[in-house]
Amino acid sequence: MDEIERTIERLRAEVRRAAVSGDRTRARAMRAELREAERAWDESLARLEERPPASLGSAPVDQPGPLLPVREQVHQALTLLGTPAAQRLIIAVHEAFFGSPLAAARLTSLRRDEERSFRAAPYSRPYYLCTALTADLLAPARGLLAVSTWPIERRVIGPLSPRVNYLEAAIRVAESLLRMPKPSQAAERLLRRFAANIPGAADGARPKDPHLVVAAAHAELEIHSAEDGSVRREAAARARARLDDAEQLFGSRMRVIPRTGTGA
Amino acid sequence: MTIEARLDHIRGAVPPRNHNARTIAALTSNPGCARRAIMDAAGVDKQRLASCAGFPAPFGQSQFAITRGNAFEAQVKANGCAELLRLLREGLGLPLPEVSYADLEEVGGNTSRELRHSRTRGLLARAAASGADAGTLFDHPLLRLAVAGQQVYLEPDLIAFRLHGQFHVVEMKSFAVIDGQADGDKVAAAATQSAVYVLALRELLAGEGYGPDTVSHEAVLVCPENFSNAPVATLVDVRKQLTVLRRQLSRLEHIDSLVELLPPGLTLDLKADEAGVAGRPPAELAGAIRTVPARYVPECLATCEMCYFCREEARGATATLGRDVRDDLGAVETVHAALGLADGTLDPADDLAEAAAMLQVAARLRREALGGTA
Repeated sequence: MDEIERTIERLRAEVRRAAVSGDRTRARAMRAELREAERAWDESLARLEERPPASLGSAPVDQPGPLLPVREQVHQALTLLGTPAAQRLIIAVHEAFFGSPLAAARLTSLRRDEERSFRAAPYSRPYYLCTALTADLLAPARGLLAVSTWPIERRVIGPLSPRVNYLEAAIRVAESLLRMPKPSQAAERLLRRFAANIPGAADGARPKDPHLVVAAAHAELEIHSAEDGSVRREAAARARARLDDAEQLFGSRMRVIPRTGTGA
Repeated sequence: MTIEARLDHIRGAVPPRNHNARTIAALTSNPGCARRAIMDAAGVDKQRLASCAGFPAPFGQSQFAITRGNAFEAQVKANGCAELLRLLREGLGLPLPEVSYADLEEVGGNTSRELRHSRTRGLLARAAASGADAGTLFDHPLLRLAVAGQQVYLEPDLIAFRLHGQFHVVEMKSFAVIDGQADGDKVAAAATQSAVYVLALRELLAGEGYGPDTVSHEAVLVCPENFSNAPVATLVDVRKQLTVLRRQLSRLEHIDSLVELLPPGLTLDLKADEAGVAGRPPAELAGAIRTVPARYVPECLATCEMCYFCREEARGATATLGRDVRDDLGAVETVHAALGLADGTLDPADDLAEAAAMLQVAARLRREALGGTA
């Protein structure tokens, strides 16, 4: 790792020199190398710190967030939510419950890096950050990250799933808040934002009572869950039957998949 | 020579510009302008043409406005359209079970327009066929509209489907509604854009055998409320805009009558070389543009890329003072003539006698009001 750090130092200097001298081609090349080196550094750090990710989501974690690699931080947030989530929500949750901001720029390449890593050496990590799958085409759902250890049913996005996921995430956030001895302001703000869009959750004198949010979300969830569940089960069965391991995690990019049953 | 060939010749050796909802909406702002009608029908790149003729327009949407608009849209649509669902439930009485959401921005990782359009068509037709509970929110459907014989692809922000089996177009705009009031011009522009989508959606469903009633003439406008980022939804009736739009589109269809009035062999080709540098002298280009009659009004400054050119050309004409002045002065076309008639230095022709008398009265009133100081 010392070696990588020295390389990064050297490359930074090179990039600066190239930028100052106006040699943009060289600067770009150097920057690409720099990014590669930084990624290698992240990965070796991840290897140093790799440990079972269980029980992370339940309580506020005391260790300072920024020392964890991005994928660990995202994993924490996703484990807390329990559903596939978009970047913005992951960042908000991480800030609310783990106390450190996540750099949005570093999330963008995450999914691709994970896919590359999985294809190079399948199952060599305890978990991968992967995509949610659309129920109809089993393609990667735009902008949604998930965890590979979840069952496919949880990662499939049918027509009703965005709402179901939202309600389930609201319940998880509210429950996590209840477990916190002293919830942070950011966490309360997050819950309020959830509650505002769930009927019955924001009514009454105490708009941010987590119990009320849980109850209201459960009430609406009841309406959708049966239909959503059947779509998910059907799509998951189709995914297991037709897709290879990598595609099950990162989605099929094939153009045409024969549709079956109700999943169209 | 066919009309298409003439229009192609007018445009020159470049591919035609594509329309979008914004440019189609702009068509309705000055229906009397033949220059704009011809250029739009031919698909001329007006922005480049204007700058090559020496009158570049600082035109187009500001980058900040675009970013702001996208951020607001993303916020309203985040988490399965959570905020939008609340608005539709509270404002339009959308029933709780209707939360289905279909993302049409890409099809299986593929963003080709044909694919997206055919999928949009399939999903919307299925929703229309199978009653109220099949499909509620359709995100970024890709619609198509025939403009001047070309198929133009359009992307509304969102289409909501709700009970009574009617589609509503949802348009998200980032201008604020303060105390229930929004900027009238901006609402009008948004309404016209929504009307474009309503029309395109009706056309799509007509292709599947559904009548125009399937798509509501009331669009849902979602804007930030007051000085916050919290969205608020309003219903906007776009029937008037639909009528104007249909008329303008049919006018583009019948562009031949306008083209016939132009000198044969007219071309607005920039004669650009391979690097894209225009090879035609600005003066010659300007001369060619002037052969197409324009109808400049000050509103053009907000909607048309040719505005500076036309304003320069119309300098001294009564039209530059606005539609009201132009209509009041009728046949008096220039400011110079109007002043001449008013102070009696110009002899009015018979048909201008009435206008001249009015102008003289106005001049006298002005003199008296200013006490002879002017």
